[in-house]
Amino acid sequence: MKAVDLGSLRGLLLKCEKPSRYTGGEYGAPDPGWGAGGFNFCACFPDVYEVGMSNLGIKIVAQSFEERGMCADFCFAPARDFGQGLKELGVPLYSLELKAPLNEFDMLGFSLQYELSYTNVLYMLELAGIPLTRKEREGGRYPVIAAGGPCAVNPEPLADFIDVFFIGDGESVDADVAEIYKRHGGATEEFYREISGLDGVYVPAFTDFEYDKEGGVKGMSGITRIKKALVSDLDGAIFPERFAVPNCESVHDRAVTEVMRGCYRGCRFCQAGFIYRPVRKRSVQTITRQACALISQTGYGEVSLNSLSTGDYGRLGELLHSLKANLPSEVTLALPSLRADSFEEGFAQDARKTSLTFAPEAGTQRLRNVINKDITEEEILRAAERAFDAGYSAVKLYFMLGLPTETEDDLAGICDICGKIRAIYSGKKRKKALRISVSVATFVPKPFTPFQWEPQADEETVKSRQDYLIKHLPRGVRLSWSAYFPSLLEAVFARGDRRLGRVLESAYKNGCTFDGWDNLFNEEGWRRAFDDCGISPHLYVRGRRTDEILPWDHIDVLVDKKFLAAERERAYAGKVTGSCAEGCKGCGMQRACPAAKGEL
Amino acid sequence: MIAFRYTKTDGAEYIPHLDLLRHIDRTLRRAGIAVAYSEGFHKHPRIFLGNPLALGVRSVSEYGAIDSEFDGDFEREFNARSPAGIKCLACRRTEKNPNFAECIKACRYEAEGMPDFDTAEFMGRDSLEVTDLRGRTVDIMPRILGLSHENGRLCFTLRCGENNLRPDLFCSVICGIYGGEIKDIIKTDSFGDNIF
Repeated sequence: MKAVDLGSLRGLLLKCEKPSRYTGGEYGAPDPGWGAGGFNFCACFPDVYEVGMSNLGIKIVAQSFEERGMCADFCFAPARDFGQGLKELGVPLYSLELKAPLNEFDMLGFSLQYELSYTNVLYMLELAGIPLTRKEREGGRYPVIAAGGPCAVNPEPLADFIDVFFIGDGESVDADVAEIYKRHGGATEEFYREISGLDGVYVPAFTDFEYDKEGGVKGMSGITRIKKALVSDLDGAIFPERFAVPNCESVHDRAVTEVMRGCYRGCRFCQAGFIYRPVRKRSVQTITRQACALISQTGYGEVSLNSLSTGDYGRLGELLHSLKANLPSEVTLALPSLRADSFEEGFAQDARKTSLTFAPEAGTQRLRNVINKDITEEEILRAAERAFDAGYSAVKLYFMLGLPTETEDDLAGICDICGKIRAIYSGKKRKKALRISVSVATFVPKPFTPFQWEPQADEETVKSRQDYLIKHLPRGVRLSWSAYFPSLLEAVFARGDRRLGRVLESAYKNGCTFDGWDNLFNEEGWRRAFDDCGISPHLYVRGRRTDEILPWDHIDVLVDKKFLAAERERAYAGKVTGSCAEGCKGCGMQRACPAAKGEL
Repeated sequence: MIAFRYTKTDGAEYIPHLDLLRHIDRTLRRAGIAVAYSEGFHKHPRIFLGNPLALGVRSVSEYGAIDSEFDGDFEREFNARSPAGIKCLACRRTEKNPNFAECIKACRYEAEGMPDFDTAEFMGRDSLEVTDLRGRTVDIMPRILGLSHENGRLCFTLRCGENNLRPDLFCSVICGIYGGEIKDIIKTDSFGDNIF
């Protein structure tokens, strides 16, 4: 392996923004030995260093290779200035610690966290000098291009580019795939045959699709059922007790523990709430041990207790006491994803914090029932009051727009909540002025949710509803909303099929990268790509018939499709299903679900 | 107080000053070296570093001081837990804050990739006006204290702090006149009170 010499990049590093993104040498970074264990893996994150370094998933995945004694390194998407510079110098994209050119690894594993990062996968492949499509790579000696993460549950839009998808808990299977690769002496046909038999492994070459005239899927052939991989014992699962401390501040610059995986709530819009089922937990002792190890190893002053809904961790009180007793006293705890109704216990973690975030998602009780967001206005208001009394003076509220059955009343409800929160604040004499900010995201129907068949609201509807809020929100409330076109794209790729590969490649060639970044979004490039490929994005955001074959029907996340359909009916009836913690709802995972057996 | 000399090499030369401060803070935490905090509303650890080094310039002569009662082996503990290019080279206990940002008056550097030219003739110039990075015109000659070629490298000593001259700016001025392309700049020594 011929490592890239940083000295030769001196001029480029000095010209570009934040050069410490590209130098490696972080404290606590793995010290991978090239060739160790006969397998070189590079975890690739298709966004910039500061975003990728905050991601826990790629650390867990890298750890799973390290535990088998294999070589695991990292790579992030270089910002455009550095990427351009590498191209001009003819230097290939390299891994962070070893500075090994990406195309010399045995496997590159891309983390797919959001649909708008897909062009960056192509961007990184091209910078690495690796042909983009499976077809172009055929017969050549290239790394196995793998991908995993939440978006991999609908792999089809990337199927032209990716050799292997890891579906579900990748850490339980990815290193097994590496062992099989070694046994076959590389990525042979037999290798692909063998791994395609494993749970959690999807080899798109073995599945073919046929499409009908209306644009739907007519049929699929080959391997048509891929079960997700499942870690049944989270407490004993792989977890890195060593983090690399980023050279420049990352978006979540702190130690992270994973308290639970999965969520009891089953909010009907939320993909994570279904694909990460069942809820699995770590014990108070394990979390405490991991938090203490991370704090002493990293020197961070903050630990985050991550999960989809940390307030639902049954022993949260016990956990907080255990952490306070065992961590150095100056270390603060961050509890993201606390629901308003579980707010009490996590209070006042950091006295300097003044802003509180709620996600009611919908403006009226009716619509919150429709989406199964089991929370009342009183609960929100009560939590806000407690927060104000504790000294908080700013509130952020997250809503969605374009939800199924939404009417103007629901928008009026958003305005109403803001008014009520303000009234509570001014009910007492307080030191500071209240700041309310409202953020409205456009609803994106996602696979494996009860809303997977729903249409996405069209441009006119979205814009008129945004306008309504602009006009009717109480004065002084700061409103931010998502632009229409990026949300459309997100919806297209979330429920897309294999035909979108051409659009993706064409958009990339039109200069689209970093699509998730407002300031870098290239709408013109995308529109041209759809036009040139003769594919209408609107085909993909239409409502789907329940008897239609969905492009992700071959993927089995172990949640029953009938359950999703029933949940959709309950949504239309305005019926709340409630939390799995209060009784099993029969989603199809009962046999693997601790909660279904009464273990909470 | 503990005063220490440290490196900024092996990629750490691309870490900007504020991030550097955070890395030193975290290194001290990891090492269990307790640092006193400032009084006031926004408390911060009492870590004092010398003047910021230009990005991309390596150094084996950076200085810092911390307010700490730590009585263990500072150098060993620090180095066991610091990032690759930030290593303590020497340290000593002091009564008062040495205030390196004030007391370092000049620094010596070595640069690679610089052209061969008559240094004596250059130093004979009365003045050389240059536009600095902030767009101001300054005469750099009084800020150059020494200049020579040694083993194919250009060695030079520049004023620091007040009437500062950045080594990277100086090198690009030289390349502008005589040609050449900067390949590497390293700070080798600092001069002033309290230096060790």
